[in-house]
Amino acid sequence: MSRASDDGKGPTAYGSPEDFKRAVQEMQATFPTEGVVSTHPDDLFAHGFSTNVYHEGIPHSVVVYPQSTEDVVKIVKIANNYRMPVVAYSGATSLEGHFIGTKGGGICVDMSGMDKILEIHESDSDLVCQPGVGWVEINHALKEQGIPLFFPIDPAPTATIGGMLSTGCSGSETINSMESFLLDTHHTPANAVRYGTAKGEWFLNATVVLPSGEVIKTRQRSRKSSAGFDVTKLFIGAEGTLGIVTEVTIRLAPVVPTTVATAQFPDVRSASEAVIEILNHGVGIQCVELCDAAFMEATNLHGPSGRKYAVTDHLFFKLQGPTQASLKETARIVQEVAKKHGGSSFKVAKNDEEAEDMWADRKNAHYSSLLWGGEGTKAWATDVCVPISKLPELVYETQKDIERSGIKGPIVGHAGDGNFHSLLLFKTDEELVKVRDLVHRMVERAIAREGTCMHGEHGVGIGKREFLYEELGEGTVKLMKKIKKTIDPLNLFNPGKLYPDAPKSKSSSGDGH
Amino acid sequence: MLRSSPLRCGTRALCRVPASSTPSHLSRDISRRASYSTSNGAEPKTQTWCRTCVGASVLLSGLALSIFLTRPSTSSHDKKSRSSSKYASPDEVKTAISALRSALKPDQVLTDPDVLLSYGSSDNTYHHSSPHAVVVLPRSTEDVIEVVNVARQYRVPIVPYSGATSLEGQFAGFKGESICIDMSGMDKILAIHKDDADLVCQAGARWEDINETLKDKGIPLFFPLDPGPGATIGGMVGTGCSGTNAVRYGTARGEWFLNLTVVLPNGKVIKTKRRACKSATGFDTTKLFIGAEGTLGIVTEATLRLAPVLPTRVALAQFPDAEKAVSAVQEILLSPYGSNMQCIEFLDENSMISFTSFETTYLTFYPSASCSLLNVSPDGYPLADPADALLQAAGHVGHDRLRGSAAGSVKTIAGAHSGSNFQFARTDEEAESLWEVRKYALVATLGWRQQGDRLWTTDVCVPVSKLPELVYETQKDMNEHGVTATIVGHVGDGNFHSFMLFHDDKELEKVSAAVHRLVHHAIDLDGTCTGEHGVGLGKKEYLVGELGEGTVELMRSIKQTIDPLNIMNPGKLYPDPSEVANKAVTRDKAV
Repeated sequence: MSRASDDGKGPTAYGSPEDFKRAVQEMQATFPTEGVVSTHPDDLFAHGFSTNVYHEGIPHSVVVYPQSTEDVVKIVKIANNYRMPVVAYSGATSLEGHFIGTKGGGICVDMSGMDKILEIHESDSDLVCQPGVGWVEINHALKEQGIPLFFPIDPAPTATIGGMLSTGCSGSETINSMESFLLDTHHTPANAVRYGTAKGEWFLNATVVLPSGEVIKTRQRSRKSSAGFDVTKLFIGAEGTLGIVTEVTIRLAPVVPTTVATAQFPDVRSASEAVIEILNHGVGIQCVELCDAAFMEATNLHGPSGRKYAVTDHLFFKLQGPTQASLKETARIVQEVAKKHGGSSFKVAKNDEEAEDMWADRKNAHYSSLLWGGEGTKAWATDVCVPISKLPELVYETQKDIERSGIKGPIVGHAGDGNFHSLLLFKTDEELVKVRDLVHRMVERAIAREGTCMHGEHGVGIGKREFLYEELGEGTVKLMKKIKKTIDPLNLFNPGKLYPDAPKSKSSSGDGH
Repeated sequence: MLRSSPLRCGTRALCRVPASSTPSHLSRDISRRASYSTSNGAEPKTQTWCRTCVGASVLLSGLALSIFLTRPSTSSHDKKSRSSSKYASPDEVKTAISALRSALKPDQVLTDPDVLLSYGSSDNTYHHSSPHAVVVLPRSTEDVIEVVNVARQYRVPIVPYSGATSLEGQFAGFKGESICIDMSGMDKILAIHKDDADLVCQAGARWEDINETLKDKGIPLFFPLDPGPGATIGGMVGTGCSGTNAVRYGTARGEWFLNLTVVLPNGKVIKTKRRACKSATGFDTTKLFIGAEGTLGIVTEATLRLAPVLPTRVALAQFPDAEKAVSAVQEILLSPYGSNMQCIEFLDENSMISFTSFETTYLTFYPSASCSLLNVSPDGYPLADPADALLQAAGHVGHDRLRGSAAGSVKTIAGAHSGSNFQFARTDEEAESLWEVRKYALVATLGWRQQGDRLWTTDVCVPVSKLPELVYETQKDMNEHGVTATIVGHVGDGNFHSFMLFHDDKELEKVSAAVHRLVHHAIDLDGTCTGEHGVGLGKKEYLVGELGEGTVELMRSIKQTIDPLNIMNPGKLYPDPSEVANKAVTRDKAV
């Protein structure tokens, strides 16, 4: 293993175009069933490009649709033989260009066919499934079967388990409609306040095909284990660069009654301050969402419920408690604290229907905002996370910056996690330039406050690689690259993603911070 | 500065044991061992091994393993690592010690033979132990870097140490040739961010002290991971710990450690992440060090996430058998009250019987802190019947009604599963007194049978639904083999400990065999060989059976990448391939 170079790329001696051609032929021979191996240009194009992101798309050489772990092993073995890059495509499209093809061609492994729930263990509160199944389908299936459990990690509605694991999301994957180029803000991975993220203990184990073609199952199904460091965690957030996940055991949580409340605030700062205090009370908060005045304006015009809100900064709460009495008491405490911070017009949903209605306004942030921008509007979604105490200041400054720039940019935040998104709307190239500048300033402000830039949820992919050194420090990134190199010495899995090429100019950010 | 005297430890354990009590503090008193292998730190003599109650692994896996344990430097799995795992010669170790003396202050480097011995061994375990060559007491991350650099330069193994509460030999010395790095002096809280509900501290800080400090400052937050008393943050990271609170708050593997500052084997320092709580920045390298038992780097600082303090109540119910108790627990956890349960603990019939005997001498026994007084016949304690389950219900702030209704709901569910004698504590004092049954389970077990008994603690975890089967089979197995033991479980997680009593080598052999059967049974039920105590020396041999060769190999290759010279806590955690081959045989025998 000696002193291998640390660039994390490993040998880039991929096969020749001839090799790739033979690889495709071998795959066709291995999977003779119609439709399993596709080289149709539309298919290649659709898998290699995303209109969701402003990164250059590259088509793959071939798209394969495996049905089983064994299929994936076969594909990976062929990839090894011909030194052909492999990009796992986990159903939904992702924000940061995770699935964009590799220059020179590669294999796209589309996991959407592996979408089965394999076992439900109600009494253990866990469930075994394939990676292509969506979290919404899982929760739907549980409800249908009358099992009072759910999977609480709630990114975009079409996100699949495999994609969620790979991006380490608390909510990350995007929408399935290709014409919609923006993402996230409408899907509210808001449960993180109560349930944490994919990096917690929701993935009990994963079956993974490693770049060598070897299959491992990271752990047994028991809820706890202190048998060494947890290899499962290596694959969470690795964006398909260390292995392809083919089966997962997820932990489930009991369904608890909820209701929705809203309050309005004089500014984002006081709203965020209220959030901090409410959370430290330990009351039953499942989600707390910050919606700024710009967003409320968009909602008044285009929100699904048709409700009218004051055009001022708001908090939306999802309260949770085992009984109506406890919900009421939580609402009372939340209202008290909100009031203390200048909150007013506190409103609690009268019934489930109203709660759903109100929550829909928050959930629809993405579409309401786009409509607000008018015909031909595009949007750039950003994602920033800071220690929550820094949130009031950061949101406030960002809001002012956006106002000054003349860009329309509603802000919606998972305030309970110190995480917020701005949806920067633009139509022209000139506006796009302004948007880019705004994004950069936002990232820098967040990093200066011990935050993580823009990948609170969306992962690194291509888009944010350049910031990785700055955020994690050179030592940590080096360590990640070393691990990548150890597990994938040929750099076959999702090359060019996640790991930045070289330290940014000032390597002074150094090993520590 | 040095580690507490056995007596102090014992007392401390008695005074402050939370429910998850790592039993061993006491066994430290009781099982004061006659001999160690002290001489020049060489390989231990065989007879010493026997007398000092060698771990089950050695007894069962025979020659190949003992060769491994005594000559780990040649045991690595390929030539490359074999050549790279040549450690310092005795002379080089001496030079390294001089280098440490010049790098640190004189009082930071200890070579007193008694100190070296006591740091290298643990009364908590019956695994092979050996003294260190030197003990160093760093005061800063910079000191740790110095130590690691010296260790690397001279290829001296380095073994991290802090709370010394681990149960699987994690801090055992390495052939008398290791540097023991005692982190317990780095025990400062560096920053408390109340608004962010997080706290930055050094690795030697104890979780109990952290919670005390928060309480003293009137900050209504706490760190909810509650392993044995005396455990420090660094050790908790290394073990991937948990405790009774895991039902509500999860384990060290969750999101409680926001970031770690780690000195890597190459002497570089990394801070794994920023403090922001939600981050999707690639895979989380923090997690690499959680459960790594000091084999990948030395943690010097950590940022902990804190949780709001909530009022709690305690309830107790009695069940005819483990199966009924577990099914009640499952139903409770599935109900909307499920997420309000902070701890759910199970005590088997033997535990309750032993507690009865304990109870009768409770007052006289306790202040004297001596376990030899406890041999009293069982009588009188009203709950001393069949299996019992304890339920601790946590409600939200100000939610008296919720706590009340949680208790009502729990009672109803318990009743539906043949639970009886339901008790609900109305005051904090009552709650504390009910919870004591759990708190002192270990002490009670120790004193249950006869004076001079010692105790082997095991720790397995299975999916909750398999727990009744495992408890039933274990009880049966122990009855058949004449092993006296109690079972105490974090039933909400499917995790349980068995405290097995033994008096002499013959009984030890029986106990050791019973532990093997139990662990294999747990693994067969989709469980783990260790729910919270870690692998260390004691559970290495089970790792492949549990995780599969592929996963273990992946762990090894990560170890090899990060620590190519294998200087970080060698011989722990990663099973050796030869051991694996051997294990297959062992397993056949054991099952």
